[in-house]
Amino acid sequence: MKTKERAIEGGGMSLAGPQANAAAVAGALRARSRSRFRRNVPLLMMFAPVIVFFIVFRYVPMLGNIIAFKHYNLMQGIWGSPWAGLDYYRMMFSNPQSIAIIRNTFILSLLKIVIGFPFPILIAVMLNEVRKAWFKRSVQTLLYLPHFFSWVIVGGIAVMLFGSQAGAVNAVIRYFGGEPVNFLYQTGSWLAIFFGSGIWKEAGFSAIIYLAAISSIDPSLYEAASIDGASKFKQIGYVTLPGIMPVMTLMLIISMGNVMEVGFDQVYNLQNAVVSDVSSVISTYIYTVGIQGGLYSMTTAMGLFEAVIGLVLVVGANRLAKLFDQALW
Amino acid sequence: MRLSRSEKWFYVINNTLLFIAGMSCLIPLLNLAAISLSEYEAVAAGRVGIWPVGFSLESYKMLIDGTPIMRTFRNSLVITGFGVLFSMLFTVLAAYPLSKGYFYARRFFTLGIVFTMLFGIQAIPAFLVNRALGIVDTYWALWLPGLVSAYNMLVLKSFFEQIPEEMNEAAQIDGSSEWRLLWQIVLPLSLPVLATLTLFYGVGYWNSFQSVLINIHDSSKFNLAVLVQNMVANQSLLQSLNNVQPQEADQMLTPESIRSAGIMVMLVPLLVVYPFLQKYFVKGVLIGAVKG
Repeated sequence: MKTKERAIEGGGMSLAGPQANAAAVAGALRARSRSRFRRNVPLLMMFAPVIVFFIVFRYVPMLGNIIAFKHYNLMQGIWGSPWAGLDYYRMMFSNPQSIAIIRNTFILSLLKIVIGFPFPILIAVMLNEVRKAWFKRSVQTLLYLPHFFSWVIVGGIAVMLFGSQAGAVNAVIRYFGGEPVNFLYQTGSWLAIFFGSGIWKEAGFSAIIYLAAISSIDPSLYEAASIDGASKFKQIGYVTLPGIMPVMTLMLIISMGNVMEVGFDQVYNLQNAVVSDVSSVISTYIYTVGIQGGLYSMTTAMGLFEAVIGLVLVVGANRLAKLFDQALW
Repeated sequence: MRLSRSEKWFYVINNTLLFIAGMSCLIPLLNLAAISLSEYEAVAAGRVGIWPVGFSLESYKMLIDGTPIMRTFRNSLVITGFGVLFSMLFTVLAAYPLSKGYFYARRFFTLGIVFTMLFGIQAIPAFLVNRALGIVDTYWALWLPGLVSAYNMLVLKSFFEQIPEEMNEAAQIDGSSEWRLLWQIVLPLSLPVLATLTLFYGVGYWNSFQSVLINIHDSSKFNLAVLVQNMVANQSLLQSLNNVQPQEADQMLTPESIRSAGIMVMLVPLLVVYPFLQKYFVKGVLIGAVKG
């Protein structure tokens, strides 16, 4: 088929008259659109299941958010259940417990970003200054590893290390003659463990992108700085950090877009009843009260509120990124 | 190159700090392994460091005899194996057409997919969809909603786009169909990214926790993540185990040793595949990071 089309085009070119030429061009265009259609058939066959997937498992649940405005019950289903209007939002904003949960979600995730942000950069800058390849490789291998552990494992490790009875940290404290501390059952130390475990799990892996940015900095800048007598710290401050500034801005903006996402697994695996004042967040509330307790509409309203704030933040962050020529779309 | 005194100090401090950071990732794992392999008295007294004190496999024996860990392990393998297979297949089928300039409405579809990344899916409406489809309490509830990760799809799409168009044209002139083009030219050229995505999907399915909690209620279908979480969080489960076993000195166990053995069972498969795939994922991550 392909050779036939080319023959038609070639034939058109060889004709002399302008009219005949125009007809040949139109014919060639038709042939091209026909050929484009033929090439699209297999592509559409590949893509059809993907379309079905995105409609059924991404867009239908989005529409399902409508139960936040309905008194959903099993018998009448999503469409049959009576409308509730903004009842659930009124309940949400007049209930001190749900306000506390929204506040926790916001504070935990914001602090997680602020506290966690510098560590990947620090690790990348430090790794970049290692001159022995084998040492750099081994440290990288170790630092990337926790990213692949689930929060069940990280939570388990945290309980083992900081648990009150036989935890390793308390064993060390006892060895030095101190009193064992219930680290996981005190708000302050729980928060430290919460943020610390997040950094431990992800900082190494997040450093990858900064390492790549650093490797694209022109080495002659370092040579020039070194000849001018800049110390290592000055070189980092005046060459490395400015060199990765765009990536830093981008990463900060992306993470600000995710402010409402503390993630279910981390909180669920680290929390306990004693610290629930600070550890209850929207995602864990949706699981315990919504899925387990069956209060579908109430918790969907809360989740929708979270998702909308999240969307606004992402879009706003992208706007901001455009100012720095770093927009994501 | 000669180093000045201050530079020497810089390297010493820098490397020391990085060594400590690296050890902070290694030592908890060694401690875990050591506790799972140590004797009762040593664990109870908190004397176990990073090396087993008095080697004992009791905690693993207890785990195998007293908990459904073997079945759960098998469940985790099934969930991960088929999950990766399905996800990779459909991620390729999503990314390949979208990487072609002549694909109709490619912009429309790409935007439609990116939008699903921005506006997160809610647990409850997603659960109601699963229930309506009748897949709750089957593994389809884990496989189908996670079939294509939009992020992974975009990574693969931008990799496909980097393959020179001339290569495709040459193959098409030789009469190769889109399917053959994909199978014989594009996929073999994409092995590093495919390996990376396999790792990401594999880890995702192996670690899947929230989706199992929500969708799987039949405890015989639980995966390791849920079982291990129960063992970590639920003291009574471990105590009931201890009541079953004979209380002879050499067979006593602490909750810590059973817990750490459980975590090890979940950890070891990850540690086994990690070194093989490690060389690929840096590349994969960077392709994804450049632009979606």
